[in-house]
Amino acid sequence: MGFIKDERPQTICVEGTWSLSSYHYKGSKLLEQYVKGLKQKKLIGSFCPGCAKVILPPRNLCGRCHRIMDGRKTVSDRGTITCYTVSPAITKGKLKVLGMDPVETGLIKDGEILIPVFVRFDGSDSNTDTILLNAEPKAVHIGMRVKVIWAKEPQGALSDFEGVEPI
Amino acid sequence: MIRRVAIVGYAQSHHQHNMQKTREDMVFEVCKEALHHAGILREDLDTVITASTDFLDGRTISSVFLSMAVGAFLKDESKVEEDGTFALYYALMRILAGTHDVALVEAHTQGSTLNPHQVSFYTLDPLFDRQVGVLNDVAAAGLQARMYMNRHSVSEEHLAKVAVKNIANAAENPCAHRQMPDVSLEDVMSSKLYYDPIRELTMSPISDGACALILASEEKAREITDKPVWIEGVGSCQDPYLRDRNIQNLDSLKSAANTAYKMAGVKEPLSDLDVAEVSEKFAHEELMIYEALGLCQEGQGKNLVESGTTRRNGEMPVNPSGGALGADPVCATGLIRVIEAAKQVRGEAGAYQVPNVRRALAHGQFGICAQKNTVYILGGNGS
Ligand SMILES: [Zn+2]
Repeated sequence: MGFIKDERPQTICVEGTWSLSSYHYKGSKLLEQYVKGLKQKKLIGSFCPGCAKVILPPRNLCGRCHRIMDGRKTVSDRGTITCYTVSPAITKGKLKVLGMDPVETGLIKDGEILIPVFVRFDGSDSNTDTILLNAEPKAVHIGMRVKVIWAKEPQGALSDFEGVEPI
Repeated sequence: MIRRVAIVGYAQSHHQHNMQKTREDMVFEVCKEALHHAGILREDLDTVITASTDFLDGRTISSVFLSMAVGAFLKDESKVEEDGTFALYYALMRILAGTHDVALVEAHTQGSTLNPHQVSFYTLDPLFDRQVGVLNDVAAAGLQARMYMNRHSVSEEHLAKVAVKNIANAAENPCAHRQMPDVSLEDVMSSKLYYDPIRELTMSPISDGACALILASEEKAREITDKPVWIEGVGSCQDPYLRDRNIQNLDSLKSAANTAYKMAGVKEPLSDLDVAEVSEKFAHEELMIYEALGLCQEGQGKNLVESGTTRRNGEMPVNPSGGALGADPVCATGLIRVIEAAKQVRGEAGAYQVPNVRRALAHGQFGICAQKNTVYILGGNGS
């Protein structure tokens, strides 16, 4: 802890952290089914018998129908970009994509951009948050058709679904 | 409503980057000033409701550290998370319930202590979206902007026009953070690009600031002031989480506005309202807000800014104070809009006063892509 006076002459800056140790998020078993599906290069969403919507990644509850989404549905690994943005330059240590530093893993070079997108996979009704790879920012557009880039050897983890690329 | 409830006093700080005050001193000053503005004493308060988030305050149960500053010493006090308009809702309910007559409502954030955009990452689904790791509020706003712009042929220039309008308005408001009287379309279009198409000047600044207002039942309000600002209508609603939400519309805002309109008897918003103060954290949101508030048809938001309808001297001024693009002390931003709308009704808005305001709308929001929305309709004695 240090006392820094120069930046705020009328107050003192006491640096601190607010660490509560690690947090153990309780995930639904659905997530386990989802990653098991990824291992077989399958996208398994949840299906609501009330409104027939398919949500990917799966969720246990339908807010609209206020009921358990007890159906499952495998959707296509091809879909359509519903919206996109282009990040500022990403430098090493700035963020983690699927638990890994994208610069360290060689996904992008230091100072390059990422293209976050929402994809509506064929047969689903939700926004799946991922990144568009193998595409120039200028070429990306809403309505662009894309497919999943699968890991070479899927492990049954979220990182098996590396991103999407143009078809 | 069962009882009439009025705003009878208010105050706000000079919002700025890195204020040279502690949070406690900043909050104390606005609360003291709001009491003074109403002409009442701390002893006259029955209850105090505050708004902030523990994450942005850097403490849990953060309101207990501010109970002295807000005037709640040995008084009934409670806190809500997030926007100050939610705290106002809570205070309003307490007065409507008949258990309290005079309330102080306070909201604040010092964005300089912890970057609010960093905090926004922690509002995402920890099991999936946080693992993917590429979203925060600005990236999500970029996605929303692109989707909306694509659907309704809105250009980056339209967004820049919203920014120029609000930032230029802010220059007339001494409490606003951004003071750029000569801001031009080119300044906005060439400002730093964050997540495309969101630029430095099409997003709100990170501000330190606080505000407080005094709310009173009809009997008390008439004792306290000759110029009560009545809450004629209120509505609040929230959208589902990003994953199965249509982010190109603000459906929850539309619902909140309709509830408030019904309560206040507003039938034609564009003609029945004289001014609106809205929480546009990003320029594109203001266009979406016009549509959700029914000021125009869906997809026509750009026309209101193109035609100058929402300029300070236009037919329906929106954000004459500069709005959230003028200053954004996160949790205080919505309550500041209520105060600005009340100032317009009372004719106390000085250089940015809109003539003959009888009815004003104020809007607060919180969450990624404006997930939660609250709308107030305010009126003066003559309305
Ligand atoms: Zn359903």
